[in-house]
Amino acid sequence: MLAQQIVNGLMLGAIYMLVAVAFTLAIGVLNFLNFSLPGLFMVGGMVSFGMMKLGWPWFLAFAVALLAAALISLLVERLAYRRMQGGDPEVPLVSSLGFLVLLENLVLIQYGSDQQAFPALLPDMNFRIGGLVIGMAQVLSLAVSLALVFWLSRFLKATNAGRRIRTVAESRETALLMGIDISRLVPQLFVASALLAAFAGILFAVNYQQVSPFMGEGVGFKGVAAMIVGGMGSIWGAVLGGLLIGLAEVLSISFIGADMVNITVYGLLLLILIVRPQGLLGRPASREKL
Amino acid sequence: MSGYLTGVLVVLAFNVMAAYAVYLPMAAGQLNLGIAGFMAIGAYASAFLTNEYGWSMWTAIPLGSGLAGLMGIIIGIPVLRTHGIYLAMATFALGQVISAVFLNLEVVGGAAGYPVSDYASPQVVWAAAAGVVVLMLYISRTRFALCLTAVKSDATVADLLGVSVRGMQVAAFALGAAVAGFGGGLYAHHYNFVEAQHFNVLLSVFTVLYVLFGGTQTVWGPLVGAAFFTLVPELLRASDQWRYAVFAAFIILFMAVRPQGLVTTSLMTLFRRRRVTP
Amino acid sequence: MSAALSISGLSKSFAGVRAIRDLSFEVPKGRTTALIGPNGAGKTTVFNMVSGVYGVDAGRITVNGTDVTHMPSRRRISTGVARSFQNIRLMSHLSVLENLLVGQHVRASSLAALLTPYRLIPNHRWKREARAALAESGLEAYADETVGALPYGVRKRIDLVRATLAGASVLMLDEPAAGLNPSETNALRDHLRALAAKGVTLLVVEHDMHFVDSICENVVVLNFGEKIAEGPLSVVRRDPKVREAYIGTDGED
Repeated sequence: MLAQQIVNGLMLGAIYMLVAVAFTLAIGVLNFLNFSLPGLFMVGGMVSFGMMKLGWPWFLAFAVALLAAALISLLVERLAYRRMQGGDPEVPLVSSLGFLVLLENLVLIQYGSDQQAFPALLPDMNFRIGGLVIGMAQVLSLAVSLALVFWLSRFLKATNAGRRIRTVAESRETALLMGIDISRLVPQLFVASALLAAFAGILFAVNYQQVSPFMGEGVGFKGVAAMIVGGMGSIWGAVLGGLLIGLAEVLSISFIGADMVNITVYGLLLLILIVRPQGLLGRPASREKL
Repeated sequence: MSGYLTGVLVVLAFNVMAAYAVYLPMAAGQLNLGIAGFMAIGAYASAFLTNEYGWSMWTAIPLGSGLAGLMGIIIGIPVLRTHGIYLAMATFALGQVISAVFLNLEVVGGAAGYPVSDYASPQVVWAAAAGVVVLMLYISRTRFALCLTAVKSDATVADLLGVSVRGMQVAAFALGAAVAGFGGGLYAHHYNFVEAQHFNVLLSVFTVLYVLFGGTQTVWGPLVGAAFFTLVPELLRASDQWRYAVFAAFIILFMAVRPQGLVTTSLMTLFRRRRVTP
Repeated sequence: MSAALSISGLSKSFAGVRAIRDLSFEVPKGRTTALIGPNGAGKTTVFNMVSGVYGVDAGRITVNGTDVTHMPSRRRISTGVARSFQNIRLMSHLSVLENLLVGQHVRASSLAALLTPYRLIPNHRWKREARAALAESGLEAYADETVGALPYGVRKRIDLVRATLAGASVLMLDEPAAGLNPSETNALRDHLRALAAKGVTLLVVEHDMHFVDSICENVVVLNFGEKIAEGPLSVVRRDPKVREAYIGTDGED
C-alpha cells in the first residue's frame, strides 16, 4: 500500500517537476515569477483535447498545442515582461496573472467550465512488479520527463547556448559586457519554459485522462511550491522539489484525507521558506554592497 | 436604491477594504498574496464569537480583526525574514494553509460552511469601508507612512538612518492583516454565512491585481482600483461569458502601457495644481 | 574623551581574504580627518564596519565614548555617527524633502512622532527644518522634486544634507567630491567648512588630494587594509611607503 502510494506520488511529482523546471528557467534567468505558465500548462492539455475532438491525430494535436503555448508565451514576453524592465517587480507578476485569467476564460468560453474526458491514447496496460501496479502511461511520462530534464541540464552545461543562459542568470551586466544578445535570448527562454509547461499539461491529460480550463491552477501553484522547496534557479532542485511535493500530496491524501493536501503541501513550502529560504539545493543570496 | 445596486455597492465596500489590506504592506514593499487567509481568520473568529458566545457583532468584528492582526504579528515575524518573491510565495502558502485549516475545522462547520447569527446591514458595511478609507488617508499623512516607503525604497539605508526596518515591516504586515480581518468579519456578518472555499488564492490574487491596477504610489490608487474592478465587470454584464476575458485583456494591455497604475503621484500633483489655479 | 571616533585592532576578512588588518586610529573631536589610500585599500569597508553594515572579526569601535562594536546598525546613528554613500543612496520613491525627513528619523522616532499627521499640518517644524537645511545648501528649488531625475551633483549634495539632518556629531562622507564639477566642489568645500565650524567631526574618504588638503587637518593612509601612515597631509605625502602605495595612480600629485 505504502509502496504503491510512493509510486503514484512520484508519477504526479514528475508533472510538478516539469512545471517547476519551467518556472525555474523563468525565475533563475529572468528573475520573473511567470504566472502565465499554469495557463500554458492548461493550453497544452485543452488545445490537444480540442484538436483531437476535431479528429486530428494525436501527434498533430500535441504539436498545435505546443505551438499555441509558444506563441502565447511570446505575447507574454512582449506585454508582461519586456515593458516592465526597471519598474516595480510586482507588475510583471500581475500581468502574467492577467494572462492566466484571460487564457482560462477564453478556453472556458470555447469548451465550458466542466471537466472533459481526454481520450485514452495508450493501451490500458499495467506492469505488475510484486504487489505494485504501474500504468503504462505513468511509466512513459516519468521516463519522458526525466529524459527531458536530463537533456536540459546537459544542454545548459555543455553547449554554448547553455553557457550564455547561465551567464545571464549569474549577472546581466557580465552578459552584456561579453556581448551576449539578451534581447534575443529572452524570447527563446520564454518559448522554452512555455514548451515545458505545455508538455507537462499534455502529459497530465494523457495520464489522468481529464482536462478542464482550470487544470493549470492547482498544478501550477504546486509547481511553484516545488521550485521553491528545491531552490529557485536550480534544475535539480526543481526535480527534487517536484518529486517531494508529489509524494507529500499523494501520501497525505491516502493517509490523512484529501482536504488536508493544501495544509501539508503549502505547510511544507512555508516551513522551507522560513527555515531555509534558498530551498534545499539553492544557494543563499549574497549580501548587497554599499 | 434597487437591490441590485445595493448588492454591487456592498461588494465594492468589501473590495475597498481588501484593497487597503493589500496596500499597506505593499507600501512597505511586501507583496502579500495571502490576504484571503487573514480575511478568513477575521470572518471565522468573529462568527464564532457571535454564534457560540452570543457576542454582539459590534464587539466580535473588532476582536476578529485584532486576532487577524495578532496572527499577522506572530506569523509575520518569521515570514518577513524572507524578501521579494520569497515573501510573496510565503504569504501565498500561508493563505492556502489558513483556508485549508478552516476547511478542516469541524467546530466551524468544516467544508459545509458556517452560518452566522448576527446581521450587518449594507449601511454598516459602507460606514466600515468609509472608516477604513479615512484611517488609511490619515496614516498616509504620517511619518509612519513615510517610513514604510523608505523601507520599501531602500531598507539598508533606512536602517542606517535609524528606522526600525523589521518593526515597520511587521507593523505594516499586521495592520494589513487586521484590515483584512475586519473586512472578513463584516463579510461573515453581512452574508450570514462563511465558507472556507470563498477565501481562496484567487481572492488574494485579484485583490493584488486591482491594487496594482489602481496604482500604489498614492493612497487613492487602491480605492480607484477597487471601484474599477467592481463596477466595470458589472457594466460588461451584457456580454456575460466574455466579461472576465475582456477584463483580463484590458488589465494586461493597461499595465503594459502604464505599469505604475492608474493613479500616480504626478497625476495627483496635476490635479492639485488645477484646483489651486482655476 | 577627546576622540569622537576611535578604532582599535580592527580586522575583517571576506571569504578568507583579509580586507582590514589590525587597524587602529582615532578621529579627534571637532576636527576633519581624511581616510585615503589606493582603490581597494579598505576605506569603504571601514565605514561599513563603523555604521554596522558589516560585523567585525576583531577589534573595537567607539563613537563619542560609546562602544558600538556589536551594536545593531540601526542604533548606531543615535550614538552620533551618520554617513553618506559612495553610490548615492537616495530613496527613489520619495521626494527630496521626504528623503530629508527620513534623515531626521533618529530624532523623531517615538510612537507619537510616527503617528503625527505632519503632512496635514502646514509648515510643520520637520518640514521647516528640512527646507531650511536645503536652503542653506542652495537647493531649496528641488524640495518637491522626485530624486530620480536630478543631476548627479545635486543628488550628491542632497545625500550629504540628509546625513547632516540626523544631527550627528560625527559624519562619515564617502567620496563627497567624486564626480562634482569645480563650482560644485567649491560649494561642497564651503558646506563642509561650515559644518566643521559648528563643531561637527568629519571623516572623509576622498581621492582628490587638493580637496583633502583644503579641508583636512589630518589624514590616515590605508593600503591593503593596513594603516601605513598618519599625520598632516604635507608630511604623509613624503612618506616613502605612501609614495610606493600610490605609484601608478594619480593620487601622489
